[in-house]
Amino acid sequence: MAERKLRILIVDDASLVRHYYRQILEAKCFEVEEAMNGLEALEKLLVNAPDMLIVDVNMPQMDGITFLRTLRRQALPQSSIPALVISTEAGAQDIAAARAGGANFYLVKPLGWDVLTQYAAMFCGLPA
Amino acid sequence: MPLIKNTFHRPASSSPDPAAALTSVSPDERWAAARAAGDDPVNLAALAQVLARESDTRVREAIFTALARIATPESALAVLPYLRSDDANIRTGALDALRAMPEAVKAHLSQALADADADVRLLACDLIRNIRDEDAPRWLCEFLEIEHVANVCAAAVDVLAEIGDVQALPTLWRCAARFPNDPFLAFAIKVAADRLRANAPGSRV
Amino acid sequence: MFTEARRYFVERRVTDRIAETGATSFMNYFARLRSDLDGEVEKFINAFTVNETYFYREDYQLTCLTSDLLNERTRMKRPGEALRIWSIPCSTGEEPYSIAIWLLENWPQVDAHDVEIIGSDIDTNVLKEARTGIFGKRALMRLTPKLIDKYFVGAEPGRWQILDDLRQSVRFTAVNIVERSETRPLGAFDVIFCRNMLIYFDDSSRRVAAENLYENLSPGGYLCLGHTESMSRISPLFEVCRFPDAIVYRRPLEISHG
Repeated sequence: MAERKLRILIVDDASLVRHYYRQILEAKCFEVEEAMNGLEALEKLLVNAPDMLIVDVNMPQMDGITFLRTLRRQALPQSSIPALVISTEAGAQDIAAARAGGANFYLVKPLGWDVLTQYAAMFCGLPA
Repeated sequence: MPLIKNTFHRPASSSPDPAAALTSVSPDERWAAARAAGDDPVNLAALAQVLARESDTRVREAIFTALARIATPESALAVLPYLRSDDANIRTGALDALRAMPEAVKAHLSQALADADADVRLLACDLIRNIRDEDAPRWLCEFLEIEHVANVCAAAVDVLAEIGDVQALPTLWRCAARFPNDPFLAFAIKVAADRLRANAPGSRV
Repeated sequence: MFTEARRYFVERRVTDRIAETGATSFMNYFARLRSDLDGEVEKFINAFTVNETYFYREDYQLTCLTSDLLNERTRMKRPGEALRIWSIPCSTGEEPYSIAIWLLENWPQVDAHDVEIIGSDIDTNVLKEARTGIFGKRALMRLTPKLIDKYFVGAEPGRWQILDDLRQSVRFTAVNIVERSETRPLGAFDVIFCRNMLIYFDDSSRRVAAENLYENLSPGGYLCLGHTESMSRISPLFEVCRFPDAIVYRRPLEISHG
């Protein structure tokens, strides 16, 4: 097992949501970084690539779907980082757009501790 | 020395009627027209009309900015319907434009918070964040007492944690009691309450 | 109360101080600040004073300019077409003169291209000082004695004036960044330095300023913000570009539809 902790970038404009995910994930020994919209997420992952993305849909400046579309279009190693979209938006259009934009999975809020850690482990290739 | 003294470029004179140029086939011309149209509230109707069919994201951004500069309750009203858009990109553009005209948004807030669509109520909570009004925490509390969707309550709690004070605590506890099975809301309310208490005058940091 | 952009600015400065002092947490840093350990109060205040400027400030961006940005831009130019660089706000001229000196010192291709440098500020008093180009010791603290000898002459005790040749190679002009009628006549630039200004505007002015900056960039042109700033709090019009020395923003080459 590698020494390095697996890193997850949380992209959500709500500070309490970021705080919630961080608590859950850090308790499971993931390293967590935060961005409050899609553009900031692009800046952060260009500097330091995470192993996984957790992405909200509605955010200022750049929404989560536009963020994923922009990321997946670039010819960078970071472009294929797996992404879990977690949104309050349960509309079929949003889910389809997220999938088309490059989300690997889409979950609708609210989310319990166990669900989040299960998905994080699965995405990072760890035994659940 | 290769660094040269410069000469200034003169731009082409701008179109006298931005409202007409808003429907040009050239995105560059529509962008320029939208930017110019923000100078004068008389262009409000024309801006609102082209917003509905603008497909270029950059031009749409300029239209949103122009409406935010006009910053009247009418210009806010022209933007509000786009919070319902199926396209996340358009919702974000609308929300950012509304954030840039907090005073103008105030007039429509109670209506947006009472909208039948939970997504609109959720986004309306976020708009309160930018409104500098001493009553803003009270609006959120009143809203929180009656809101029945947990995700919308969570959005209100997030804003309340930022702009509220200890007077919001009873509302927060009642909200937590109404949704005992939502793990995130319980967490959010606890963190919000801790923050509000820590920020209270006389509390030790 | 802070707006998000200002909050970010404050957060970054505090994070910088925490890193610099080796504090283990915010509470740990706060305790240091309270007890003024190693004169932290003064360092803390200095970290928040943005007006203070000096030559070669944030030189990692200048490195990025000569190692990457200008080469990218010259590739897109017709032969003989000038490279245009804009410094706004330029205050008393330290930034545009720094750019001029940096290019002469660090960009081997400087002789092959015409470079136009413009400094703008809303404050006509600072522009007058910028044109005179006399600086004190503090403004020159990052320059080696060799550079000072090469590009300055002693004006009075403890004060140096930038060489006439260099003075004439930077043009200074009064511009209010949120007034399109004032920004448009300057035309399109290849690189704009706009550091530590947008964070002080309200949302509406910030949007207008970002759109003006967009118009004042050639397609593919670059925008450099201050290291505590981020376009992600301001406007989605620009692309993020990561170069080895800095993160900068770019006006997209083509318009995206839909």
